[in-house]
Amino acid sequence: MRFVVNLFAMLTVALVVGFGLSYLALTSWSPVGTMKVGPWVAWPEVGAPEPDPYTNAYLARQAVLQLGRSEGIRFVAGTDSDGRALDRNCRYRIDGSTPVAAFWTLIAVDAKGVDIARPDGMAEVVGTSLPRPADGSIEVRVSKRLAPGYWYEITGEGRFSLVLTLYDASIFSGLGSQVEKLPAILNEGCA
Amino acid sequence: MTRTALWIAAGVVLGLIVHLVIMLMLPALSPKDVWQKIPGIETANTITLLDPVTPGSPNPLALDPLFSYAICRIDLSRGPGEVVGDLPNTFWSVAVYARDGRVVYSTTNRSGTSGTLELGVFNSEQTQLLARQEIPVEEGLLIVQSPVDDIFALIRLAAPYPVVRARYRDILSALTCRNIGS
Repeated sequence: MRFVVNLFAMLTVALVVGFGLSYLALTSWSPVGTMKVGPWVAWPEVGAPEPDPYTNAYLARQAVLQLGRSEGIRFVAGTDSDGRALDRNCRYRIDGSTPVAAFWTLIAVDAKGVDIARPDGMAEVVGTSLPRPADGSIEVRVSKRLAPGYWYEITGEGRFSLVLTLYDASIFSGLGSQVEKLPAILNEGCA
Repeated sequence: MTRTALWIAAGVVLGLIVHLVIMLMLPALSPKDVWQKIPGIETANTITLLDPVTPGSPNPLALDPLFSYAICRIDLSRGPGEVVGDLPNTFWSVAVYARDGRVVYSTTNRSGTSGTLELGVFNSEQTQLLARQEIPVEEGLLIVQSPVDDIFALIRLAAPYPVVRARYRDILSALTCRNIGS
């Protein structure tokens, strides 16, 4: 009887560890294959011809048209800089500087990747269309309600993610540690 | 108690093995791949424009709404492939994908190819023939070697203003995508 109990415990632990680690390894929590800069997470090997096994599994699970290394790199943030999930009832300030790239875009998406911008408004923020001070920093506000400065209007309810894509940032895509800073995502209050 | 701890430790080790097997097997076991999501991918040597991405509409391929997209499948077992044509003076890029979604090669117009896309894709065998000058190609063709025969090329053309999008789609439609010599 004791043998059966021990065997059951061993198999339970094996399944929990095996599947649990596999699930985590394919999310932004993965310690392998991801690059984290503040709240932003990227998979830098995703556009490489021979990605590592973890990135390969991520590729298979995502099944989307990834950017090639030379084309750029895509960062996703599901939380603000304090680690709280992004909520459409809150207003966020995207504040800081972006690494050198040809240009960048910022899109707000829901859990299915659908653009949640106002349908007859800006589908996304394009870096080149932004007024920027001499130091090159950016300041964008993302919210459902009217916000001061450069306002990116979103719609709907619930959580969302921000996708920041740096195009032609080949200097960074293969050398993750060189991305030192990305803009902070600051919560300015919730309705 | 010690014996139970050993069983648990064995469970952790077995769990790590299960994890590694899952990670290695996942690409083969995945029920969907990017190939199945692309409309018109069944037809080789044909430029297909992807629908524009707009707020509120499904975006299964995770495309950036800023761009217009053209895609073309090429079967290298029928000969080397080429994607050629003129593109406007805006940011554009091209990526060559294997069927499983891996990017075999990518480049942008900022790498020196300016306003003309001249991409040639060759498998290993064809690359050797090319090196022996047994395959005639146009001068200036950018040579890319692919480890697989069934590939597709995706051209991304940045359209920062809505008014240019219709014209850009016409330009993408006019690209040539075929097997060299066909």
